[in-house]
Amino acid sequence: MSLEEPEPPTTSEVGATEDGLDYDALEELVSEHVIDRESHVNAEALVIRPDAVQDTLSALKAEAGFDHCSAVTAQEYEDRYESIYHLKKFDDPTQQLSVVVPTNKDQPVSESAEPVFRTADWHEREAYDLVGIDYNDHPDLRRILLPETWQGHPMGKDYNQNQPQVVPLREHVNPLAEDHSAGEDSDTMFVNIGPHHPATHGVLHVKTVLDGEQIADIDPDIGYLHRNEEQMCEQSTYRHQIMPYPDRWDYTPGGILNEWAYARAAESMADIEVPEYAQVLRTMSAELTRIAAHMLALGTFGLDVYGDFNAIFMYAVRDREAVQNLLEDLTGQRLMFNYLRLGGVAWDLPEPREEFLDDVREFLDGLPEYIEEYHNLITENEIFQLRCIDTGVLPPEVAKNYGATGPVLRGSGVDYDLRRDDPYGYYDELDWDVVTEDGCDNYSRVLVRMREVEESAKIIRQCADLLEDWPEDDREIQSNVPRTLQPDAGKEVYEAVEGAKGELGIYMRSDGTDKPARFKIRSPCFSNLQTLPEMSEGEYIPDMVASLGSLDIVLGEVDR
Amino acid sequence: MAGSAPLPETFSDLLGLEQFGIAGEFLASLLAAALVGTFVLLNTAVAGPWAKRKITASFTDRISVNRVGPWGLGTIIVDSVRLLSKELIIPEDADRPAYDLAPLVLAGSALLGFAVIPMGNGIQVADPEVGLAYVFAVASIASLGLVMAGYSSSNKYSFLGGLRAVAQNLAYEIPLVLTGASVVIFAGTLQMSEIVAVQQQTLIELGPVAIPAWFGILNPFAFALFMIANLAEVGRNPFDIPEAPTEIVAGYQTEYSSVYFVLFYLGEFIHIFLGGALVATLFLGGPAGPVLPGIVWFTAKIWAVFLFTQWARSALPRVRIDQLIEIGWKGLLVLSFANLILTAVIVGVVGV
Repeated sequence: MSLEEPEPPTTSEVGATEDGLDYDALEELVSEHVIDRESHVNAEALVIRPDAVQDTLSALKAEAGFDHCSAVTAQEYEDRYESIYHLKKFDDPTQQLSVVVPTNKDQPVSESAEPVFRTADWHEREAYDLVGIDYNDHPDLRRILLPETWQGHPMGKDYNQNQPQVVPLREHVNPLAEDHSAGEDSDTMFVNIGPHHPATHGVLHVKTVLDGEQIADIDPDIGYLHRNEEQMCEQSTYRHQIMPYPDRWDYTPGGILNEWAYARAAESMADIEVPEYAQVLRTMSAELTRIAAHMLALGTFGLDVYGDFNAIFMYAVRDREAVQNLLEDLTGQRLMFNYLRLGGVAWDLPEPREEFLDDVREFLDGLPEYIEEYHNLITENEIFQLRCIDTGVLPPEVAKNYGATGPVLRGSGVDYDLRRDDPYGYYDELDWDVVTEDGCDNYSRVLVRMREVEESAKIIRQCADLLEDWPEDDREIQSNVPRTLQPDAGKEVYEAVEGAKGELGIYMRSDGTDKPARFKIRSPCFSNLQTLPEMSEGEYIPDMVASLGSLDIVLGEVDR
Repeated sequence: MAGSAPLPETFSDLLGLEQFGIAGEFLASLLAAALVGTFVLLNTAVAGPWAKRKITASFTDRISVNRVGPWGLGTIIVDSVRLLSKELIIPEDADRPAYDLAPLVLAGSALLGFAVIPMGNGIQVADPEVGLAYVFAVASIASLGLVMAGYSSSNKYSFLGGLRAVAQNLAYEIPLVLTGASVVIFAGTLQMSEIVAVQQQTLIELGPVAIPAWFGILNPFAFALFMIANLAEVGRNPFDIPEAPTEIVAGYQTEYSSVYFVLFYLGEFIHIFLGGALVATLFLGGPAGPVLPGIVWFTAKIWAVFLFTQWARSALPRVRIDQLIEIGWKGLLVLSFANLILTAVIVGVVGV
């Protein structure tokens, strides 16, 4: 089955019925591989044989329309290893299916899904690195987050967590020491871009082979900011301790959006209702952070294309400052908000409410002028257009195959936004649009972000109006949630929200205690960054830098 | 100004140095060079970096230095102490003589150019008949410095930066010189003082205001071409690709620290100011201007050009290397030839 095969029309998708998915039909489709069936909170799961992963997934992709492999979760049980492929449809992400691949304990070998979904490449490398599952047929099964010399797999059961492992530069395969030159006669030059480089937006290391000024080969090397946030969350209680961590993934600040991902997963797992008033508060604060994050993305993209000391970065930061002040008033924090709680939010609007809402409206009133200024300054600038139009091209099919989401995917013309397609919070009650651009290039991705700021402003204005008129005796900011949360053992859930960079998903499995047995973060930046080689091979260094900027990665979220 | 004797002769007359023969002449030249050098360095090394901070800050809506002294003027001293007291780190594989010489070549080449610039009030070290050719010649030695720096640092980013610098300077030197040549056709001389003198005639009387025949007014097309080529020559946005920090770290100067870095930094400033001095001399009537003494006008004109480069830097994205070469060879070169031929035809027909 080739990857380029066009999707079959939606009408013939197996299992798609008017009242949701018919899981029996799906099971029937791949029945020869299925050995069991599980029920997760978000979707049904098919348990399949480890040697039939490619057959199963390609059948599901081609005939049932599951074209989005959102994430790959790996985990170790007492008696087995398990890889879970979380499948979705770009047309309708509420149609979900999990494919569970158990492998035995002695020889955890499972077939790779990489030939079916390119995005599985990095996800499976991460599973190998952290949990220790081997994937047959994987093109490049190396460690991805930890150094090559690391001993053991830190999320495995028999890993000694008390044994410190220091990896000094001498012993670590020092990527900067080797020259990697292809010999005397070679025309190419190997250059390490990063981990300390002005354009990598953090500690990203891009191994680059240059042919003159053009890029012949490129390999992003991540993991410099790896803190194993997943494990930190596994050691924390659902009720209070996990919530501060999401702020530390995407700190641009995507804080409240990240918190919402956890809140959504935990609330779905423990069946917690969120009061409507709290949903409005969440929606408004989340969109404020989205504006702040997009402003920073715009500013840093300016840095990449303009060079330092340019006006656009400072203008973007100036306007982001207004949002930060609003968020500070609301949450008491400028960066690590910790505002959401399971079942609601931490605080109501600051008193006096009218003053805060006036501040919000004042900001929103000023915004069109700022946006106009940005358009004058950057998007209408001929040199900027010369640099960004038709560079870093990411065709929609490639983007989907890599599991790219968020502004990156929408910049490739794919109309996919979880806020609308898999509604949560108060979004479906409000009037706003999903922004797409068809250019597939750096310019489109920048435009999408700029236009999304306007859409977010629309959402915030409606929320502000709602909050102002909300009856005073009905302002419930948090529902009644037990002090200790202990979901039933064996409950599994995968839920995602639309973060600032794209689909931010959380997988959790409960073992009946007050801490999750497995906590997996599906980071949008992780998947988006995988597309960089597709976008930049054959292009010039400056275009690669611009493409990297237009992907808007945050290494804190890539490495977690 | 035209007519007034070059600075060494003034000194020699003042101090009565003729009696010492060649030694006296040498001493007079040295004194003149010291005076001009001090003036240039005051502008570039002392006022330049501070002004650059302040100017860029106002363009980008920031406050900039304001802690030490009034308007942060004390930062000038702080900066120099800070930069000069840093450790000088030299890469192991550096190609030593070339590595050490590069910053000197860069800073020196630009400083040499100032020797023939008439700055008003008789401040001009020498006034050879081939003044303009001399300026272009010494200024282009800078490219050599950049290649030396890029190649000898034994750093791939430096190497890329050095290559970019050569490609860029080749592509933009020719339009620069050709546009300068169109001025020569107008003026009929390469001598800097003469070029300035020719521009003193009145072009048109608008009531009480006499518009002088500055070449920038006579031929704004050439003026615009020269400004663009000059931006590329001094390596400022949109043509700052030889050092493009977000692409190749700092290009040719990646491996330079401490005093060497200061020399590079200074060299860049002197080049920008030399560019400004050329623009002022060729197109803006040199030191000419009402009321105030010539040297003040001349300085103001240089600073205006400096302001322009900082403005471009704050507001314009940088072009890609292939686009830069394309603009240079397919755009500016063709336009500057057209300008040269047009100027020649017009001058031939009208007979200015």
